[in-house]
Amino acid sequence: MRGAMSPSAIGSALLLAAAAAGEVEISASADRDEMALDDTVNVSVTVTYSSKGEGDLELPAFRDFDVVSRAQSEQVSFAFVNGAPTFKRTVSTRLALTPKRAGSAVIEPARISYKGRSYSTQPIRVRVLPAGQAPPPEEMDPFADVHPGSRDLLLRASVDNERPFVGQQISYSLYLLARINVSGIDKLQLPRLDGFWTEEIEAPQQLVGESRIFDGVPYRSFLLRKRALFALRPGRSAIEPAEVEVLTGFGMLFSRGSARRQSQSLALEVQPLPPGKPPGFDAGNVGQWNLSATVEPLNVPVGQPITFRLVAGGKGNVRDLRLPRLPAIGGLRGYDATTTDKESIEKGVVTGTRTLEQLLVPERTGLVEIPALAMDIFDPVQRAYRTLHTEGVRVQVLPAPAGLAAGAEPLAQNLLVAGGVRPIRLRLAEVSRAPPPWTRPWFWPLLALPPFGLALLLATDRARRLFVIDPQQRRIKLARSQARKRLRGAKQLLGKGEAAAFYAEVARAITGYLADKQGVLAAGLTREELGRALSNRGHAEETVRRVVRVLDDCDRARFAPAAGEAVARSAMLTRADQILSELDRGRKEAA
Amino acid sequence: MILALLLAALPAGVTQLFADANAAYLSGDVARAIAAYEALVAEGVASPELETNLGAAYLRQGKRGLAALHFERALFLDPGDDDARTDLAEVRRGNVDKLEGESEEGGTETVARLLAPLPGAAAAILFVASWVGAWTLFGLRIFRRERRQLSTFASAAFGLSLLAAALTYAAALGRGLALQRAVVVAQAAPAREGPGEKSASHFEVHEGTTVRLEDEEGQYRRIKLANGLTGWVPSGAVELVVPPGWAGRPVLAGSARADQP
Repeated sequence: MRGAMSPSAIGSALLLAAAAAGEVEISASADRDEMALDDTVNVSVTVTYSSKGEGDLELPAFRDFDVVSRAQSEQVSFAFVNGAPTFKRTVSTRLALTPKRAGSAVIEPARISYKGRSYSTQPIRVRVLPAGQAPPPEEMDPFADVHPGSRDLLLRASVDNERPFVGQQISYSLYLLARINVSGIDKLQLPRLDGFWTEEIEAPQQLVGESRIFDGVPYRSFLLRKRALFALRPGRSAIEPAEVEVLTGFGMLFSRGSARRQSQSLALEVQPLPPGKPPGFDAGNVGQWNLSATVEPLNVPVGQPITFRLVAGGKGNVRDLRLPRLPAIGGLRGYDATTTDKESIEKGVVTGTRTLEQLLVPERTGLVEIPALAMDIFDPVQRAYRTLHTEGVRVQVLPAPAGLAAGAEPLAQNLLVAGGVRPIRLRLAEVSRAPPPWTRPWFWPLLALPPFGLALLLATDRARRLFVIDPQQRRIKLARSQARKRLRGAKQLLGKGEAAAFYAEVARAITGYLADKQGVLAAGLTREELGRALSNRGHAEETVRRVVRVLDDCDRARFAPAAGEAVARSAMLTRADQILSELDRGRKEAA
Repeated sequence: MILALLLAALPAGVTQLFADANAAYLSGDVARAIAAYEALVAEGVASPELETNLGAAYLRQGKRGLAALHFERALFLDPGDDDARTDLAEVRRGNVDKLEGESEEGGTETVARLLAPLPGAAAAILFVASWVGAWTLFGLRIFRRERRQLSTFASAAFGLSLLAAALTYAAALGRGLALQRAVVVAQAAPAREGPGEKSASHFEVHEGTTVRLEDEEGQYRRIKLANGLTGWVPSGAVELVVPPGWAGRPVLAGSARADQP
């Protein structure tokens, strides 16, 4: 409650100074450690003397604060302890301070000088928020809107948060307000709390009342029940009224009767978890959690178990918490994990720890790393998702001692089991993704080219053989026509009266024919050699003789021009033509 | 395949991105590593190392189908990649689908595995060279009859070309099988009797299972499992091991990888 001295705040801010041989104590406390710039903080400096005398109290300068008010009170007490009188005087100085600026502010130490010695408190740090940003109250006042009117008894139900997130703890309280005497209660009927997971926080066995003033009328409030609720699903949710039978009067003897009372119903608006959930987030992981991992022992012989312990602790519904699991670790054989929960209530808040234990047995020597684990949670106070991480742990696995390894079935010293995904590669080598050659357009035509090319060459050669004439053959083929041509020339020479030329031309016609057709060069041969050459080529003896005679006659006539008549010359032409015909015929027969 | 494994010069940016992806993977930021690896794939980088690392990253994320797909791609790029083969076996050990009666299909999977490492491209080049050489020698022998030793050389060249042709044929057969391979990437997909939602489904396939694509019709693909089970599954449930644009596979309009080079 704002302005009141919260026990928790005092607890966190109480700083006790030294005691001077038990004669003086000084302490300073503040009612909050976080406040808005336009708010006030109450500071109490208490000096307790256990002997007579008074020190000089020196309050701090308050450089970060302005002093709004200051009050001092003193209380003296005497007591006899073990027959001896004791004296105690307490001087309490209360200050109301307002901060000068936002940020981190310090309430400096208070000092006291007593019997020549000086004592001081520790400084108190206060976080100052900007104006209007006061930290949220720790809990709602359950009686903020209570107006009992003329009612003597009132059953009041309340929750400390009407708009919780799914999985966030809220506290359901049931109070009895009475301005008459209450001797007891009977038949307390709590509402069904469908849609909530519940945990008992307080269930007082005796009625303990606190005085409260409502609309100027004094009442006593009795806490009947306090339960923690964790909403399981979002949306509107109603908590039905509770009922109780109240016994009134002075105890059993002076009981005046009983009265039945019903509380009001409550309406809640359970909010879904906000957007931005991490992938794989488990809806049960709501709360203020811490995560830690330990491994024992860190040095272990192969084959001996080690214990992996994962602990999640904090505020929230521990039973709904889902812890991360260890993946398969190469070199370690993992056994099934066991989970244990421990719950407690601290200052009305459900807290607990969930511990996951797993036995791991090293199967090979060397350094084995148990990887870091991560768990995503939603913190309803910060209204944000957070990821909790553990640290990776390295375990040194040693070879088993000789005694352990030497048995009937020796322990594996370093069991290397195949399998698992291999480490990634760090160097990149790109390969060609070109299509294979046989899918290329040039492949099949290239294969077809050699046989087709060879076939083309052969065909070309054949054609060339068919269409190209050999000069030798051509000479053979044209030999007769050449000879005739020369004979015609000789006839013309005969007409001109050139006898020598005539006979020379007739001789050339025959020798030319022999050279072209028969392959016999008569010019370099004697008549005998010529005759043998022609005989060797299969010509008849008579034909050979006639050839030789014609050639001889021509030679004689050429060198004796007067010789020979015109008739003889014409006969020579006829003889030469007949000789050529016989030679031609004789060759065909020989062929 | 030796010629096909010609190393290309890698730009510095590619090498750096690969190093960044590896660093992310090793630091446990698998999502970032996958994004970087996929960026390299989208850039057109084809590398067995890249595909193996990407498969390992997907496996760490629990995506077994995509992990198997990328290990298969690494093996297509380099059939001798021992890491990819081992990792693929590791993925398959955890597959949901266990096939019975695999021998019914004549061991297509085994045949494909045997044929995949054949050096098809080199054999094809050798085939062409020896074939051309053999015919040249044969032609010389015809026109120059006095060189009798040409006959021996021509016969040897024809024998070599025959051997190279057999190797080329086997590699082409293996490549044909590889082009039909696909991996189920959806967590589960019903295999139906026909290419439609209303067709009856008699079995389901799950991520990581390797199948053979036989046909495509609309938004469905006809798949055949190694044991002969056949059905139609949604197109998005399976991914081709050899994506369009790789190794001469035509880029199909509307394909998920149609934008790849």
